[in-house]
Amino acid sequence: MTMFKILLSLLATFFVYSKCAVADDIEDRVKELEAKIAQMENKGGAKAESSSGSSKIYGNEFNPSIGIILNGKYNNFSMKSAEPAVKGFVIGHEGERGREGLQLGESELNFSSNIDDKFYGSMTAAIVKEDGEDKVELEEAYLMTMPNFNLPDGMSLKAGKAFWTLGYLNEHHVHADDFANRPLPYRVYLNKGWNDEGAEISYTLPTDYYAEIGGGVFRGDDYPVKGGDGESPGAMSAYARIGGDIDQDQNWRLGVYYVDGDNSGGRAGNDGDNTFKGDSTLYVTDFKYSLAPTGNVREQELTLQGEFFARNEDGTYDDVVFNGTSYGWYVQSVYKFNSRWRGGLRYSQMESAGVPTGLIGTNMDGEGYDPTSVAVMTDWTNSEFSRVRWQFNRDELASGSEDNQITVQYIISIGAHGAHKF
Amino acid sequence: MLKKIITLIIIQFSFSSTLIAKELNVFACEPEWKSLVEEIGGEKVKAISATHAKQDPHHIRARPSLIAKIRRADLIFCSGAGLEVGWLPLLLQKANKTVQPGQLGYFIASEYTPVIDIPEKIDRSHGDVHPEGNPHIHLNPNNILLVAKELNRRLSLIDSSNKSYYQKQYNNFINRWEKAIAIWNKEIASIKGKKIIIHHKSFDYLFNWMELDEIASLEVKPGIPPTASHLNNILQNINSNPADIIVISPYDPTDGALWLAEKTQMPFVTLPYTIGGNEESKNLFALFDSSIKILQNALYDK
Repeated sequence: MTMFKILLSLLATFFVYSKCAVADDIEDRVKELEAKIAQMENKGGAKAESSSGSSKIYGNEFNPSIGIILNGKYNNFSMKSAEPAVKGFVIGHEGERGREGLQLGESELNFSSNIDDKFYGSMTAAIVKEDGEDKVELEEAYLMTMPNFNLPDGMSLKAGKAFWTLGYLNEHHVHADDFANRPLPYRVYLNKGWNDEGAEISYTLPTDYYAEIGGGVFRGDDYPVKGGDGESPGAMSAYARIGGDIDQDQNWRLGVYYVDGDNSGGRAGNDGDNTFKGDSTLYVTDFKYSLAPTGNVREQELTLQGEFFARNEDGTYDDVVFNGTSYGWYVQSVYKFNSRWRGGLRYSQMESAGVPTGLIGTNMDGEGYDPTSVAVMTDWTNSEFSRVRWQFNRDELASGSEDNQITVQYIISIGAHGAHKF
Repeated sequence: MLKKIITLIIIQFSFSSTLIAKELNVFACEPEWKSLVEEIGGEKVKAISATHAKQDPHHIRARPSLIAKIRRADLIFCSGAGLEVGWLPLLLQKANKTVQPGQLGYFIASEYTPVIDIPEKIDRSHGDVHPEGNPHIHLNPNNILLVAKELNRRLSLIDSSNKSYYQKQYNNFINRWEKAIAIWNKEIASIKGKKIIIHHKSFDYLFNWMELDEIASLEVKPGIPPTASHLNNILQNINSNPADIIVISPYDPTDGALWLAEKTQMPFVTLPYTIGGNEESKNLFALFDSSIKILQNALYDK
């Protein structure tokens, strides 16, 4: 060891000395030598000597990035009795309004890393309280091919469990949302979000404007499709979207999506009522527009966003033949006053399909009523990693039912935090 | 349906591979690199910059138009050192194989220059710190030489048929740049040691080179916007230890700097920071000319 140290210091001395000697020489020679050294280093694939700070190797260099999202809230509902069902629809548990009072939201734990030169992997688990018990919900666990994988340029394959490409919000984690709860169509059709098990391929076209197409096959056991038995893919999807800049300040994106499934095992609502069996197809179209003076979204921004859903169901509800199309949509606008404060407004509405006589009087019977929800929010962002939000929400889910909800919420991000999608 | 999509994809792919690129498509993350690649690549390159001078390069979004641009890039040319960490990784997922990290087409300038401000302790309570050090390397003209040299090498390898063209352009640029540095070195001698208040550590390389003394920053911590109490603190410190000038970049908000300038009667200037940062800064030479002139004027007026 000592021997090694002596050798090292000798080497260092020699190095310093040799540099000094050269420094005495004429200026041109210095340049020539330095250039040669730099060239040699570059050829060896190493970074230039002076940048060694960025190539330090730590013991945990190869560990995955770890990110934690903490999220807590206080809910106050004016309607103290149980929330009424969304008139004309059968929804899942996640689509409900949640608990009242002080509570933790979903605490998310994310690990992600490049696996090797060809694959990227990510896992996100959410710890939530359900029925008085802490439960771990696997939100995402997927691998994705990197451009080095031998697919054509611009093409990528993602497999596992993930928030698949559908509309605008679905690909984003809830903590990145602009509002404390999801709009009605997400609560009704997607049980908050669609993260079935499956595989999806996407292809970005080499065009001047942005254009991407893709599609996938899935197990078919997560809203909007349930009851896939795994024998054959129970659901499939396809999408296309385009986007671009209008000028330095404005940009937009537009997409069309579709998910089709056969609900072979049946899709039941939260309370086990009105089980649907048969073919369901969900069509979605979304748009997002952003206006930021000089393109600095961090200082000021106005966004306008909307998604329109149509669901066609052809099958049976509790053995009653049913064929109908229902609709849901929302539009929202969020304005960022300055780097810390934002305010937003959102309106969402559902329109159920007419029901056959056999379903009259059930939850499926909308009686011509269109459930609505209005939300107003303002939030304060200290850094990219912390945010506090206040939201007022008014749900009118059934005729004569008004529920005024107030939510105060914090969202904290700790550790590595991947960039958010557009 | 799926069949249709796959057919579409195949058709699209076969089309794109038969297209022969006439110019090298360069995706520069910042305007300074677009300008540099145009100096050396000349008519053989077609460069775009993902950000412009009025935009904070830390905080842009991986918006659709950028995906389309990076998808077609033959060379990605960025500062690195964490500057683009919020958006470049997302874009890279959509880029070609030849521009992925480790490839010739992925050129990170800060890997070829000295990097300053490398924090000894990394803790988010210190703000949005860059563990890799300060990424705004282009504001030391000596760094431009180092980056230009590597850029020439990369261009010659990626587009070897134009190797001699790039070499000629490079020699010409280096020649002019070294002469310019010699002139600038004389010009900045007069402002050495002046005390500066900044908004964000965007100009550390410039001030290091000019040997100016940075005594405070308007941001509470890097990336955390100024607060009233922090500005008051600065004001009190200045009263006992006067500074000479407040400097911000075109993308910094002006309110904090204006407030302090009013309270202290200190001159307050906006340095161009990059190409297009002010009307004069049309290329790299003009960027340094203009920056020096602005500082000289403000400091001599005092």
